[in-house]
Amino acid sequence: MNAPDRYERFVVPEGTKKVSYERDTKIINAASFTIEREDHTIANILRMQLHRDPNVLFAGYKLPHPLQYKIIVRIHTASQSSPMQAYNQSINDLDKELDQLKNGFEAELLKFSKDY
Amino acid sequence: MEGASYARMPRVKIRELKDDYMKFELRDTDASVANALRRVMISEVPTIAIDLVEIEVNSSVLNDEFIAHRLGLIPLTSERAMAMRFSRDCDACDGDGQCEYCSVEFHLRVKCITDQTLDVTSKDLYSSDHTVVPVDFSADPSSLESSDGRGIIIVKLRRGQELRLRAIARKGIGKDHAKWSPAATVTFMYEPDIHINEDLMESLTLEEKREWVDSSPTRVFDIDPVTQQVMVVDPEAYSYDDEVIKKAEAMGKPGLVEITAKQDSFIFTVESTGAVKASQLLLNAIEILKQKLDAVRLSEDTVEADDQFGELGAHMRGG
Repeated sequence: MNAPDRYERFVVPEGTKKVSYERDTKIINAASFTIEREDHTIANILRMQLHRDPNVLFAGYKLPHPLQYKIIVRIHTASQSSPMQAYNQSINDLDKELDQLKNGFEAELLKFSKDY
Repeated sequence: MEGASYARMPRVKIRELKDDYMKFELRDTDASVANALRRVMISEVPTIAIDLVEIEVNSSVLNDEFIAHRLGLIPLTSERAMAMRFSRDCDACDGDGQCEYCSVEFHLRVKCITDQTLDVTSKDLYSSDHTVVPVDFSADPSSLESSDGRGIIIVKLRRGQELRLRAIARKGIGKDHAKWSPAATVTFMYEPDIHINEDLMESLTLEEKREWVDSSPTRVFDIDPVTQQVMVVDPEAYSYDDEVIKKAEAMGKPGLVEITAKQDSFIFTVESTGAVKASQLLLNAIEILKQKLDAVRLSEDTVEADDQFGELGAHMRGG
């Protein structure tokens, strides 16, 4: 009856930004990224990739509520980097990793279909 | 600005490959990536499924919505799905989801005129698009004995009963409704690393060895019939149940075997519903994940707004 539409879980409402960025007012080089209509899938790979960056002092995410379809990623970096730089870097690195995975799998698929 | 890259170089190795089943190894990455792939395969790779049903005549024993639900669950071949549009953001039609870019029409007209029960199956559905048809399992030799290769049963009719309907299939994802999920099951496990302490093992009698080997609920270890040594026959049969470790302790031989999970090696099994091939399912999942990552990049205006704020902030901090 009053159930929210299912598509609300993955369609960003009009007039809403997909990613919004908010600097921490008290700590330098700390910020929160609010990502609309995403879940653990994206948040967890981002967090783990951020942990690989030695300039990142803290990276964590939370899903504030199961019925609020957004995640908050918080990043704290050392002074030679910035949260925004670390965030962009992690996305680029993950993108590279997935490209590599795709090429590796395609090559393997070709090899496999030849062998059998 | 461009710093060092912390990207990894993951490796894949296919072990088994069939149209609807695949087993592969994924190495040199971490659980977050493995789990993201699993989650995307289950709930975000698009397929096509019946979403709207207009029933003209239904004198069967099942009610209209029951039949509509069953129709929705029939897997349709969805190689086209990645290139298709979602009907909610299709601009070629006025949102009724009935244009060629975002939907496929199906018709079903069956009437039973004999005394024998008539099975209405997915093979009675006529598609307006030959690339989008109900999945045919009869080509698979292993399923020959089941249901005579007659497709998926929708309803059974007795003499005089009739079913006539029009159905619209649309593109969708498993997150919206499970009927759009292309995956029957997707699982991954850490690759186990098993080390037997040979010295301690040799202090056991053959009887004790056999008892210990049999304590594992799955057949991981066995005894070599010639040398009578305990060997690992199938490390992946181990289900991280700790039974053999507990058994070793109970026998007064702690440390007899050491089993750890390799944190960067995964064994995936993918089973597809038949909507897309298992191998294509993984490729689509990688593509979708890339698109999702691209969507969460910061927009230009956010960066600019922060640059100004950043300078202002630097002034205020006395920079």
